[in-house]
Amino acid sequence: MELPEIKKKLLLLLADGEFHSGTELAANLGVSRSAVWKQLQKLPELGVDIAAVSGKGYRLEKAIDWLDAMLIEQALSETSRALLAELEIHQSITSTNSHLMARAQDHAASGTVCLAEYQAAGRGRRGREWISPLGGNISMSILWRFQQGPAVLSGLSLAAGVAAIRALQSLDIKGLGLKWPNDIYWQGKKLGGILVEVAGEANGPCSVVLGIGLNVYLSEREAQNITQAWVDLQGILNGAAPPRNRLAAALLDELLPVLAGYEKRGLQHYLQEWRSYDCMSGRSVTLHLGQNSITGVVYGIDADGMLLLKHEDGSIQVFTSGEVSFNG
Amino acid sequence: MDIRKIKKLIEIIEESDIAELEISEGEESVRISRYSSPPPVAAAPLVAAAAAPTAPAAEEKTAGHVVKSPMVGTFYRSSSPGAKPFVETGQSVDVGDTLCIIEAMKILNQIEADKSGTVTQVLVEDAQPVEYNQPLFIIE
Repeated sequence: MELPEIKKKLLLLLADGEFHSGTELAANLGVSRSAVWKQLQKLPELGVDIAAVSGKGYRLEKAIDWLDAMLIEQALSETSRALLAELEIHQSITSTNSHLMARAQDHAASGTVCLAEYQAAGRGRRGREWISPLGGNISMSILWRFQQGPAVLSGLSLAAGVAAIRALQSLDIKGLGLKWPNDIYWQGKKLGGILVEVAGEANGPCSVVLGIGLNVYLSEREAQNITQAWVDLQGILNGAAPPRNRLAAALLDELLPVLAGYEKRGLQHYLQEWRSYDCMSGRSVTLHLGQNSITGVVYGIDADGMLLLKHEDGSIQVFTSGEVSFNG
Repeated sequence: MDIRKIKKLIEIIEESDIAELEISEGEESVRISRYSSPPPVAAAPLVAAAAAPTAPAAEEKTAGHVVKSPMVGTFYRSSSPGAKPFVETGQSVDVGDTLCIIEAMKILNQIEADKSGTVTQVLVEDAQPVEYNQPLFIIE
C-alpha cells in the first residue's frame, strides 16, 4: 500500500530533518500553503512528529532514514541473496505478517520478504498491538515454505531469537538477551519481538511467516502507548543507531539461513546458544496462560525449547506457551 | 567406563527430561549435563506436569471426521481475545478454512479443515492446553 502522493512527497522533502518554510514546501508540491499545513497536521497519525518554528518553518523531530531495497540487497551475504526470492518495501501497510500470510495463499515464493516504513495495525502475540511509527523501527516479515507439517517447526521461534541476537551482535550491539521464547531484551527492557505464524495442512506442506519488530527510534509520544518497559537502538547506542538498511540486511543474513536449514537442523542446533542468551534463568516470574497466572522461578528451557518453572515445593513444571513477566 | 555405556547414557538423557545425571562405578564417575554451565539451582525432581486434560471421549459412535491436534500447545478458538471464534458448532466449513490456532512457543499454527462439512462438535475450550493427536473438532 502506498501513501497518498502528496504525503509521500512531503515526507521526502522533510526527511532530512532540516527546516523547510511553508512557502518552499508549497512551491515544491505545487499546492497552496494551507494545503501543506493540512497535510502536516496529519503526519502525527503516522507516528511522525513535526516541529514548527515561526520564521523558520517546519522540520521533522527526527530525520527519516528510508528503507531502500537496493541498499539492503547490496549489503546481503551471497548465501542470503541466493535465498531471497523477492524484497517488498511498503511505505504503509496494515501488518507485514498479515500481508505475507495472504500472499502465501496466493503462491508467493519461499524467501519473499516484506518490510514496511509504517504499520497501521502491527501485531504481537494474540492480537497485541505493536507500535510501528513511520521510519521508527524495523518491521519485517519473511515467508518460508516447509515440506513437512507444523510438528517439524517446533522451536523455530527460539532459533529465530538466536538469529536476531547474532545479527545485532554483528553490528556491535552488546548486552542483549532473550526472554522466552524470543523477545529481545536489553537491561530488562524490550527491544524487539518475533512472531511466527504457520498455515497449512496438519501433516503436509506448510507456510511460515516470521515477523520481527525491532525498535530503532521511538519518540516519547509514541512510546506512551507501550505498556511495558521498552528500549530502542537509539537509546542503547547513545543516538548512533545503525542505518535501518544495514539492520534489515544483517537480520536477513541470519534469519534466512535459519529458515532454510531448520527442517534438517531443528532446535538442537541452536539450543546451547539460546541458553547462553537466556536473561530469565533463576529469576522469579509470573506466567500468564489464558485466565491463569502461575508464579515460579525460571529453571531454563528443556531440549524442546519449552519453559521450565520451578515451584516453591521444588517441583518443576513444563510450559509450551504463555506470556512471562518478571516479578519485582 | 566403556564409551558405549556413556553413549547409551547420553541417549537416555536425551529421551528424558533429566537435566543432569551422575553415575559412579568403582573409582570412575561420569556426569552428563544438558547445560553448558551448571543449572542455576541444584537438581530437583522433574515433574512433567503439563496439566493436559485427558482427551475427551470423541469416539462415542460419532460417524464424523475427527480433526486432531498436530502438536502440543495451547488451543485458541479466535485470532485474539474477544474476537469472533473461527468456527462455531453447526457452521459449515470447506477444506482449508481455519478452525483454530494452536500456539506453542509463540508459533501460532492455523489449523485448517482437512474435510468439508458441518462442525458438529468443538471438543476443547478456548485457551486450554492440547496434546499431540488430541481430538479438537468433529466435522460431519
